[in-house]
Amino acid sequence: MRRNVATDKERAADGVSRRAVLGVAALGALVAAPLVGRLVRLADAFASPSKAQDARILQLVLQLEYTHVAFYEQALQKASLQGELRAFAQTALGHERAHVAAIKGALGAKAGPRPSFDFGPAVRNPDEFKQAAIKLEDIAIAGYNGQATNLTAGTLAAAAKIVSVEARHASWVRTLAGEVAAPEAVDKPMTAKQVSDALREIGLKA
Amino acid sequence: MTVDGSNGFDDFLESVDRDGAIAETGALAEASLSRRRLLGLALAGAGTALISGAGEAEAASGLPASDVSILNYALVLEYLQASFYTEAERSGALTGKTAEAARVVGSVERAHVRAFRKLLGSKAVKRPLFNFQGTTEQQRPFLKTAVAFEDLAVAAYKGQAPKLKSKAVLAAAVGIHSVEARHAAWMRELFGITPAVHAFDQPASRQHVNRIVASTHFIVQRPEMKARGKPKYTG
Repeated sequence: MRRNVATDKERAADGVSRRAVLGVAALGALVAAPLVGRLVRLADAFASPSKAQDARILQLVLQLEYTHVAFYEQALQKASLQGELRAFAQTALGHERAHVAAIKGALGAKAGPRPSFDFGPAVRNPDEFKQAAIKLEDIAIAGYNGQATNLTAGTLAAAAKIVSVEARHASWVRTLAGEVAAPEAVDKPMTAKQVSDALREIGLKA
Repeated sequence: MTVDGSNGFDDFLESVDRDGAIAETGALAEASLSRRRLLGLALAGAGTALISGAGEAEAASGLPASDVSILNYALVLEYLQASFYTEAERSGALTGKTAEAARVVGSVERAHVRAFRKLLGSKAVKRPLFNFQGTTEQQRPFLKTAVAFEDLAVAAYKGQAPKLKSKAVLAAAVGIHSVEARHAAWMRELFGITPAVHAFDQPASRQHVNRIVASTHFIVQRPEMKARGKPKYTG
């Protein structure tokens, strides 16, 4: 299950270190660039957080969590997951179900229905499963992070309890895939549209 | 999500997606920067609100005082982590996957320190003096301490995020928060415990975090108060 390719991994780790350093160098460069003023103006264009906006965002993350639940459910049935990989999928499924329940609870009767899915080989083969799980967990992290500034403080506090659990899943399954568990210095956000497109690509049939 | 009409979901998305802002940001950035350099974007976004072409000394002048205070609190936690990993790496006591993880995580924590210092400019607190009580010199104590630090950092960021007033700083903080959670899971896996125990991670108050940090005695007042050449094993 775990590959033992120390030299590859060392190379990867070195690359990561260099990238982390580059990221900070880029910070200095960006600060001076004209692009920067534009970034700030764009950031200011967010709508002010409101209960109504919270609800719209919760519908989005509900789609995310539905996708996670269906993915782990199907993989546990069909992907012949064994050992720690199976334990990971079972643990993650339990968490994702709790997330769905919490978000549905917050939305009440307005909660959207569970969509249908076609994950293809990702839920039929352990290696494909690992790669898809990494993608799905990363999408969730980027999706939650991307909405942080659009949420009211109360809903942000609730969402923050979920996003770090998705990050733990992402790290865990990367380890199981023999990859560097946390390759970036800062997690880049995704927009709602980017999240939706990514989910469709992975198997959500809206 | 409306059931009538396939455009329902897209309409909804557009309504959420006033942050087409971020998409545009991403496109602009990707055009001018390599993908890897995009790493710094979230932090750079935070920096932009504050640094107006003036010197670093004035970097934090545009920030609410409460955000400066929170950022300095986060900076101390990042100093703690960065110094811990750097010292462990230099001790040469770590092997295999643990040595690799310490190298990667250490470089990221040092990047966080530099970014916060840049953001805070002259308002940045100084690096405290640390004595890690021998935990950087043996693999098991190192991992146990790393797990504690990372879980604590996750809880600390989570406790402060809803209190941040500057959206730019918040965007950067959540991008770091999830990275600390990845680190926590990584160190837990290496230590041999479940990387993700609960469905919901709980926040910790600043008071609670400070109390825990104080209880470690890792932050010391003055190096000359205790005569110590090299850190000692604590058994």
